[in-house]
Amino acid sequence: MEHWQISMLIMVLYLVIALIVGVMAGRGTNKASLEEFTTAGRGLGLFLTWFLMGGAIFSAFSFLGAPGWAFTRGAPAFYILAYLAFSLLPWYIIGPKIGRIGRKFNLYSMVGFLQTRFRSKALGILVGFIAFFACIQYLATQLRGMAIIFNLMTEGRIAFWFGALVAYAIVVTYVATGGLRAAAWSDVFQGALMITVSWVIGIMIVKKMHGTTTEMFSKIAAADPDFLRIGVEGSTMSTTAFTSVILVSVIGFLMWPHMFARSYSSNAVTIKKTVIAYPLFALLIIPLLLAGFAAVGVVNVSAVGESDQILPYLITTFLSLPGWLYGLVGAAALAAAMSSADVITHSASMEFTDGVIKNMFPNLSDKVTLLIMRSAVVLIGALAYCIAVFGGQGVVALLLGAYGSIIQFTPGVLSALYWKRVTTQGVFTGIVAGFVVNLYFQLFATTTPFEIHPGLIGLIANTIVMIGVSYMTKPDTSSVVESYVNDQKKTKPIKGNNTTPEASIYTYQS
Amino acid sequence: MSVRSFRTYYIIISTLLFSTVLFPIFTFGNKAYPLILGLPYSFFWIILWIVITFIAVLILYFIDPDKEEV
Repeated sequence: MEHWQISMLIMVLYLVIALIVGVMAGRGTNKASLEEFTTAGRGLGLFLTWFLMGGAIFSAFSFLGAPGWAFTRGAPAFYILAYLAFSLLPWYIIGPKIGRIGRKFNLYSMVGFLQTRFRSKALGILVGFIAFFACIQYLATQLRGMAIIFNLMTEGRIAFWFGALVAYAIVVTYVATGGLRAAAWSDVFQGALMITVSWVIGIMIVKKMHGTTTEMFSKIAAADPDFLRIGVEGSTMSTTAFTSVILVSVIGFLMWPHMFARSYSSNAVTIKKTVIAYPLFALLIIPLLLAGFAAVGVVNVSAVGESDQILPYLITTFLSLPGWLYGLVGAAALAAAMSSADVITHSASMEFTDGVIKNMFPNLSDKVTLLIMRSAVVLIGALAYCIAVFGGQGVVALLLGAYGSIIQFTPGVLSALYWKRVTTQGVFTGIVAGFVVNLYFQLFATTTPFEIHPGLIGLIANTIVMIGVSYMTKPDTSSVVESYVNDQKKTKPIKGNNTTPEASIYTYQS
Repeated sequence: MSVRSFRTYYIIISTLLFSTVLFPIFTFGNKAYPLILGLPYSFFWIILWIVITFIAVLILYFIDPDKEEV
């Protein structure tokens, strides 16, 4: 057999196993339960939570984007490592609180969280739409990544559009049938595969091309020491750009609906233990950066095409490694992309249904809601597929663009938790202002002041508008404000009084 | 230690640790040389602070008055 055939065989095998694991995990749980589909019955243990959160570290972005940045840009690629390691720290404080509020009001989405606190349909719809579009962009990065992998690992035999289609069909199948628990169990399988393969391949590439990392970096530094620094003459990124891109990613990370929803599905101890382990999880991507650096000065940038393709290029073309090996790398990269794709699809469908559909058609039964959520999974996939195949941006650019929108939820969420004086109007206008400013700088302006990330400028506008408008409008005196901001730990159940949630999203509407 | 003062400590310590990878503090790590453990100094600096952060949060967890909460 030829290399590409072996490689394709392994990737297909991987897809079959992933599908079986996902579908099996969904069995035995209550299929018709909305609670199970959305939060896995609020009982995901430490092991599954670790893999679900860890799955977010390994994505198409870290498998293709990280080596690509290290290869073409050098030191700025460290931002990926930095933001992943620090991104979960705020969760230690806000995660358990969001979890308690979630249990109290029976919430499972970001939309539900904000809408219950601010009691505004318009806000729910706004948040639902922004989350929906940001998630689609994120999903498009994963699909694009999968398509690149399929294409390059079979030496061009699987067309870009077809590869994305196949992988996505599988994600849709198991998310729609199994819900969160299916996604979590596939992540365990995929996580193990990704970690092993990325370390083996990273070390192997460095060893084959340079011997040791010391030799490799000596050569790079000797040729151009500024390649390994940030914000100096000849460096590819300014200091403010580096700092603001890390800030945006860290602030935005927990505002992703799929990250936010983890607060609901895990208890406080699990959340805290996940935060502790997370910096170490981030270190797992080091070999992928090393693989990108290995190509610096050896491979000609123009020979690769796009920088995202450097890792597959090294394996298939430059090093001519055996077919089974690039099949394995392909499977691992697919795993990385799919483990991110499944949770994001799951969350996007939830936010969309909760924010947009439920507010427009308020009298839906749980059964219908569940059906709509499952159909939304298919729709979201289709839209993301179109962006991935017909839109032309790189993996990193796509993702950073999405971060700019998602970060706009931060002021609203934080003040929902800690600031009593904030008002519904303040949050609403803040999000609109931030979103518009971000969009303006991303789409229409050619540069931003001091090369600050557009999302961060939006965030500043957002915060100022939110605080200003809040003080200009009447304070919110509803009891729900009290129960969010002054939420205490261990709300000990009073006998026979705790079986139903205190209030639901509808209690405060009208 | 009360829950409230633990929270303050946690926020201050994690912000300080985070700032090591941001400018202006990252200026101290922003060099290609010397190579340490086979890595450029800038790369090594970031990894070092990630490891320190892991240890710091682990210690914080052990003094967290609230850690048995369910």
